This record gives sequence, C-alpha cells and structure tokens, in this order.
Amino acid sequence: MCGIAGLIRTEVASQDLPDIIAGMLDRISHRGPDGMGTVVGDDWALGTARLAIIDPKDGIQPMADAGGRFWLAYNGEIYNYRELRSELEAHGAVFHTQCDTEVLLAAWLHWGAECLPRLNGGFAFALYDRRDRRLVLARDRFGKRPLFYARHGNALLFASEMKAFLAVPGFVFAQDSGQLASILGVWTPLPDQSGFTGISALPMGEWMSVDAGGRMERHAYAPLRFADGLAPASEAEAMALIRQRLEQSVRLRLRSDVEVGVYLSGGIDSAIVARLTTDISGRPPATFSVTFDDASLDESPEQQAVAAALGTRHHALRITGAHIAEACPQAVYHAEMPAFRSAFIPMFLLSRLTRDNGIKVILSGEGADEAFLGYDLFKETLLRGAWDGMDEDSRRQRIARLYPHLGHYGPQEVAALTGLYQQFSTERMPGLFSHELRFQNGRFSARLLKDKADPFAAITALVTENDGLKGLSPVQRAQWLEYKTLLPGYLLSTQGDRPALAHGVENRCPFLDQSVIDAASCINLRFDDGYDEKRLLRRAFADDLPASVVNKRKFPYRAPDADAFAAARPDYLELVQSETELAKLPFIDAAFARRLSAKVLKSPAGEISTKENQTFLFLLSITLLHRFFVSREGVPGHDVGRPRPPVMRAVDLRGQP
Amino acid sequence: MDKIRAFIEEQFLVEFDDDDFPEDTNLFKEGVMDSFGYVQLCRFLEREFAITFTEAEMTGNVLVSLTQIRDTVTAKLKQNG
Repeated sequence: MCGIAGLIRTEVASQDLPDIIAGMLDRISHRGPDGMGTVVGDDWALGTARLAIIDPKDGIQPMADAGGRFWLAYNGEIYNYRELRSELEAHGAVFHTQCDTEVLLAAWLHWGAECLPRLNGGFAFALYDRRDRRLVLARDRFGKRPLFYARHGNALLFASEMKAFLAVPGFVFAQDSGQLASILGVWTPLPDQSGFTGISALPMGEWMSVDAGGRMERHAYAPLRFADGLAPASEAEAMALIRQRLEQSVRLRLRSDVEVGVYLSGGIDSAIVARLTTDISGRPPATFSVTFDDASLDESPEQQAVAAALGTRHHALRITGAHIAEACPQAVYHAEMPAFRSAFIPMFLLSRLTRDNGIKVILSGEGADEAFLGYDLFKETLLRGAWDGMDEDSRRQRIARLYPHLGHYGPQEVAALTGLYQQFSTERMPGLFSHELRFQNGRFSARLLKDKADPFAAITALVTENDGLKGLSPVQRAQWLEYKTLLPGYLLSTQGDRPALAHGVENRCPFLDQSVIDAASCINLRFDDGYDEKRLLRRAFADDLPASVVNKRKFPYRAPDADAFAAARPDYLELVQSETELAKLPFIDAAFARRLSAKVLKSPAGEISTKENQTFLFLLSITLLHRFFVSREGVPGHDVGRPRPPVMRAVDLRGQP
Repeated sequence: MDKIRAFIEEQFLVEFDDDDFPEDTNLFKEGVMDSFGYVQLCRFLEREFAITFTEAEMTGNVLVSLTQIRDTVTAKLKQNG
C-alpha cells in the first residue's frame, strides 16, 4: 500500500519541484513508511510513499517503462497480477521484478485503458506520459483506494489524501458549503465530492486524462452490475457457489509477501473471512478487535468465540469514551471528511495496535452487507414498497420481524414505527425511495448550514442522470446507492482506508470482489423473502463457525457517540460551543449549532436521538477540519512520531528531452 | 396548548414560523421527528394532558403536524371531559 502525489503543468521554478513533491509525500508518509520515491521533470513531478507488501526489494517506485517515456506512481494491490502477467508474457512482455506495479505498467502499455476492467483489486494510480505531456489518473471500481485532484492556477495537483496539498505553495483550502449540504443530507460525500472547494475525488470505476493543453476528460469503465446470468437451481447450489467464490476471493487476497491478519468484528462476515484465511493458509491468522465497556455496543463474546474456535492469536483493544474523545482530532485529520458517527475513531486506534504487532495487511468483512442485503435498509425498502397493499396484521407482523428487539420496549414503539412507515410508503424523492427515511435524518443535519438550499439536489441529479439505474428493482437501487455513498464515502474511507493507513496498515475486503457480488446478486431474494438477512451466506458457513456467530442478527458496529464527548469535555469542544469559534465558519448556522451542542452535551445519553448524535458528530468534525485545513492551526504533525521515510529513488529528468 | 408548541420547539430544535415553518408542517417528512422523537412526544402528551392514545391514533396520520396534534388533543379532552 502506498500514498501517491504529484503535479503537472506547474509554473513554479523547477529548482523548487524536488522539495514540493517531497513535502507532499511527507504529508501522506503514514501511508507508505517504507520508502519514498520521486521523479521530477521541468514542469511536473510525481512520487510514491511506499508500504512494501509484494516484492519489497524490487518494487521501488515510481517505475518507468524501458524507454523512460511513461512514469507510474501506484497505490494499491492488483490481486490477479500473476494471471495478468502470464497473459502479457504470452504477448511478448518481459518482466524484471515479481511486483504487481510492473504488471500494471505493462498492462497499460499493452491494452491502454482497456486494461482497467481486467484489474481485480483496490488501487489508484497516476501515469505520466513524458512525450505527450499527458497524465492519466485511475481508480478501482469500488473506491477502495482514494485519489483526489485539484486545479491550482494552470497546474493540476493529485494525491491519495488531500493533506498532501498542504505542502503546495499557495494552495488554500476552503470548505464548500454546497458540498457540505449534500454530505450532511446523504451522510457521505458523493463519488466526486471532497467537501472542499476546487478539490474533486476521482469517482470509483473511472479514469481521467489531462493533456498538454490542460484539457480534462473523465471516463467510467466499470458500471455496477447486479446480474451476471448465473442462476443456481437450488439452495445447495447457491451455497456451493457462495463458498467457491469467497474462497477464491480470500485466496487472491492472501497473496502477499508479508503476514496477513484479520479484523474480527464479532459478526458473521469477518468470521467467514477468518475461517477461510485459516483454511487456505494452513494456520490461524492474527486477529484484531475493538471492544467496549458498554454492553449495547460490545461484541467481544462473539469475537472470542471465533478466535477460540479457529485458534487465532487474538488481540482485543478495549475502547472507552475517553479514548474516543482523545483520538478524535487526529482521526478526523486523517479522515479529511465530515463524519456522522464516531465509529471510525476506534479503527484508527486498532490499526496502531495492529502495526505494533507487526501486521501490515488485514482482511475484513466490509462489503458483505451491500452484496448479500445485510442492512435493515433493504428490508425497510421491501416493506415500505409493499405497505399500501398490506392489511394491518401483516404490517404488524412484518414490523415485528424487521425489528425483533422492539418487543422489549412496548406497543408504543411499534405504533410509532408504524406511524412512521405510514408517512413513507410512496416515493417522494425521485429515484431515492429506499433512502428517504435515512435522508430525513440528513435533512435535520443539513440545518447546521445557513444556506437552506436543497441538500438532495446533487444526489437527485446523480440518480436521475444515471442510465445504469434503469431496470433495477427497488432493492437493487438501494444497493446501488449504498455502493456509491455509504460504502465508499464512509465505510471504505473514513472507517476503512484512512484510519488503517494512518498507521501503515493495508485493509483488504474479500466481499468486494466482482465475482462475489455476482454470486450474491443471483441468489438475493431468490430463495427467501430477504427478512432473515444473509440467510444463505450464514447457512453456507454454518458448519464451520460457532453457532452464536452464525445465528446472530446483524449488529450495527457503533462506538460511544456524543456521550463520550459530554463526559470527557475535551478542550476542543469550544469549537462547537463558542460564538467566536463558530463565527470562523460563516456558512454554519451558529444559533442552531449552539442549541444543538448545548442539548447534546447536557442531556442524559438516553434522551439524545440518533439524528442529534449524528448532527453533533458532523458539526464537531466540520469544525476540526476547518481548524486543521482552512486555518492550519494545530495540524497534527507528521503523524504519530513516524520518521520521514528513507528516499529509495529520486530521478531527476529536469532539462532532459 | 402552547405547551405542545414549546415542547416540540425545545425537543426538536425548531422554531415555528408562519412563512418558513408553519404549524401544519408534516414533522415526519421534514426530518424533524423520527420514531424515537415520536414516542417522546406521545409520552409527553399523555402525561401532560392525562390522555391515552390508541394504536390507531398513533399509527394513522393524525399526529404528524402541530395543527393536527393540537386538534387531536383538544378532541380527546372534550371526549374525556
């Protein structure tokens, strides 16, 4: 895993370029502490901070083709690189390393952009063509690895994380209130959003080029698909297919020259990954988990059951509210994005424990709920869609099946939910039916902004302009939205890549393999009504895992939210309470922000609703991002005491044709 | 009855306003009230006015705006009185 950065068409004096590119890479050196490599031309430079996973000795970057025309800075892993390599060798390619970087370069030289759909992995890369002065940027199909770009005068900047731009002379960060409205409404950025004016994310599954004249073109190469012509005839066949595809996916992701560990959440998905890892590698992996004192958040019994059943070397990290409050600023700095809950903060701390135990690569269960319909959101979509045609008894039964814990509270809660469903049984937001309930909470969060523009204008445009959504069922549309918003915009980024790479740990997701998603798509709702979430996935592994985990219902991963801050009272809470501090963010409705903060920080935890918690976390993270990126006050240093990576390669092409 | 308005304003951090946020606003659809807030509201009304809501009242469309809530409570008080 690596961090990449660079700039082209710059007008700064070429004598300054080595320092600028080194400064950009230094800002993201947590992603690649093993070595730094740069190449500098007259008006361009690019480089890589590298975490060596495959062929640590020879995979030094940036890498050029034999003629020195193309220069590649690459972040990520292409799991099927051995197969691609054989294919390219058959076409006459000659390889000098065992590294996937060289395979990617050869693949681009041979196939051009047509190589992208062939790549199975998580990656982002920059390829500069010196002859044509053309830059290509590309990103994997699910958005596992980040890539941001920004115009800066005539120049174009790019980097794995935006904090690299802090090192570019004259670059100014400003929060974009229009994008923030959308982020608050939707929970996450849309695929091209960054939260900052003038900075874009390259959307997942796209590549772009910038030519010598600065013209930019973007191309999508991997539209999401939910059908592949597969049609298992029986449940037994379906389960065999699930097992076969997942086994293959884990096997590919165990290709590594360093030891691979597993993050155990306590749920079925990561337990399956740990089981398959044990079976394939022939020995139990090291496993890592977060635990909480609060029993309503804690999953340690299930984590321990899996670890004991497989015999893993298990490491648990107990997280308190005080840990959350202490680590929050650094975790937000790494995330670079407003966050709607605090659950990403423990992941920031867990990656430190992982690294301290000598593990650089971990597998996790991320992506299973999107593929196999694990979230309540999908069931809610089914129920709301059928609501108007159901009698009252059926409605009550369905609500009870959907929310089995409700019985503990009483009939009023059931009635309240029924009343809520009553209001949301027909589509009011075009193309967004499945997410209307969630977006009501987002509408509340959007009240943090002074400008009351529609927070859903951007996502409405995204779904209405996208032909790929036509012909999808309501549940598939819900999946599509999850694959474009919550998964890449929070789970894989703020809670995935960023906190893991903050401590030089690479996260890999076996459920985010197209062949696994194809298997899930042909099974979903085919053998059951979807109310017992992930039923066939569970059954497929029922004999291989503890029953307590197999039979456990989906348990959303959460961490202490506003109550952690209310108890710890960290100094930085002044950012959300003080009139002077809030006035620094002119786009914030300070009166509402102060009312909200006062309520959230003073009321007992049980009286704070989900949407108030979420809105408070948003406010806190937006003000912290303002402090670090806009005001540049107290920017966390070069992170957790890590020394500057050694320079492994510094190529100077200035003055050369 | 102003107590209901005050409760909603305090609980849901809103301010009613004839132009921007009239009293007949659907509180569910505007993202002001979720099911958690709805239960809080019903419990407040039951306690404050010594009334009980039937399931049909809670699940129908009768308690979704301040106007409708006020009308429903008034009707129930008359019934009881």
